[in-house]
Amino acid sequence: MLKGILTLLVFQFIGECLAKLFTLKIPGAIIGMVFLLLFLILRKKSFHALDNSVFWLLRYLPLFILPSAVGIMTQFDTIANEALAILCSLVVGTFISLCFSAKLMDILISKKEQCHEH
Amino acid sequence: MNTEALLSYVSSTPLTWLILTISAYKVGVFVYEKMGKNALFQPMIIALLLILPVVIYAKIPFQTYFQSLHFLHFFLGPATVALALPLYKNIAYIKAYFVPITITLFVGGLFAILSAVGILYLFGASHATMLSMTTKSITTPIGIIVAQDIGAIVSLSIGFIAITGLLGVLFGNVVFKWLNIKSDAAKGFSLGLVAHALGTSSAVEISENAAAFAALAMGLSGVLTAILLPIAIHFL
Repeated sequence: MLKGILTLLVFQFIGECLAKLFTLKIPGAIIGMVFLLLFLILRKKSFHALDNSVFWLLRYLPLFILPSAVGIMTQFDTIANEALAILCSLVVGTFISLCFSAKLMDILISKKEQCHEH
Repeated sequence: MNTEALLSYVSSTPLTWLILTISAYKVGVFVYEKMGKNALFQPMIIALLLILPVVIYAKIPFQTYFQSLHFLHFFLGPATVALALPLYKNIAYIKAYFVPITITLFVGGLFAILSAVGILYLFGASHATMLSMTTKSITTPIGIIVAQDIGAIVSLSIGFIAITGLLGVLFGNVVFKWLNIKSDAAKGFSLGLVAHALGTSSAVEISENAAAFAALAMGLSGVLTAILLPIAIHFL
């Protein structure tokens, strides 16, 4: 478990340091995530302590999000003023995005499979 | 008895807010499980509805609450790095449909951002709201980190992400039936791409294949948005 947490912290640290060193616009934790992904691809397998730590962290993720989410208490005015715009944006935007992505990928996949048959 | 000393201790110690937050979350999990794990009863949303009245009634400034729980917030960083593991476990699926995945990832991901921000623009919404909407389709830990980075209002972004996830779950099966989507890969991938973690958990109910493609879409779009969005906004 500790080895897994340590791995995650070290990769985040490396990512944050690289972001600072090269004044990158990419968040350090994302650089750390990409490096961990590359590390796992090269290593060709994960290890038990990492699996455990990841399971634990992702299981309690909502608890880590809550402190920021409570900040919504400072935004009631914005939400009240722009309620209709926000509602339409979320409902219509999510609906058409889902239609668009699902249909696009479905067409691309069926084209690819037709190519294979011929 | 020194009630004044007690009250000042209770309102200033991180223990109060930590106990409140963890208890509220526990209640949230309990309700969620009692409701048959219905996506509408997300533990986080229930917890939020319990915490907000207490913090507002006690007249605690948000900054005080946030600073007390800063160490919980800290774990978002390692949790983001941790997302490399589910992505790694599903990465072999990229080979099966490399071209469809790449095109849908870029075009569909861009469409999700532009459609939502475009509608806000038509309504004449504020710049801050539009900026906070850009992260709506990516998974929350990455969304929070990107929102901080681009100067969006983090709590608004979290709200938009959560509602997008719920809507994705509600619309999923309706859309797939209506548009006659045949491939489970396309169903899963679009759910993960548009509705991140909640979409992925509803893809689990379609099939194992759909779930893998949803996890893949969520991971890839999270990374890609985190890399490209700050750069794009920098140049706008």
